[in-house]
Amino acid sequence: MQASSEVQVSLPHAVALHARPAATFVKTAMRFRSRVTVGVNGRVADAKSILAVLALGATGGTVLRLHAEGEDAPAALDALAGCVSGLTE
Amino acid sequence: MVGIVLVSHSFELAHGLAALTSQLAGNEVRVEPAGGGPNGTLGTTDDTVRRAIDRADTGQGVVVLADLGSSILTVRHLLEEGRGNGHVRLVDAPFVEGAIAAAVVSSAGQALEDVAQAAEEARGASKF
Repeated sequence: MQASSEVQVSLPHAVALHARPAATFVKTAMRFRSRVTVGVNGRVADAKSILAVLALGATGGTVLRLHAEGEDAPAALDALAGCVSGLTE
Repeated sequence: MVGIVLVSHSFELAHGLAALTSQLAGNEVRVEPAGGGPNGTLGTTDDTVRRAIDRADTGQGVVVLADLGSSILTVRHLLEEGRGNGHVRLVDAPFVEGAIAAAVVSSAGQALEDVAQAAEEARGASKF
């Protein structure tokens, strides 16, 4: 059964999606089998690719559009939304 | 986890990149620098690379990235000697981006093939 879900979540104001926070985000995405993407200002990146996520250059407070497709899509989005809210520098 | 070896002519470049890579990937992945020639000169030596591969190897494979030129020849020479028995892979990848992509994928417990592929895919990655 394929599921497709999407959520939007804001980065904490003081945290850009650069080096360490991006690695934490990507490692969370990699725990799931679903294909997961992250969209920022109309650009979309593979959430499991550290280089693609870094290239988004998302700054603190930016809204991330998370999209997942696959049997564990809802769990992946729950985990990622929690991860983003809890990111620190 | 798959280990990562960073071969550079420069001791500082190899060690600095290893520190950056470890900070992103976490301490579970062995990222081992192999940089510099004898007596602090720029260069690479078989022995430095051999020891770094041994430190990085936990039995699940090792991906080796090299900066350019003779550092690649040094790694090839060791692999031709049979070092690593097929589970040590030299990848054609950008040094910084390849190391980080490989180490982050390794930190998720992925196999040698996937870690090597992540490094090589970094060739096509834009910085921004």
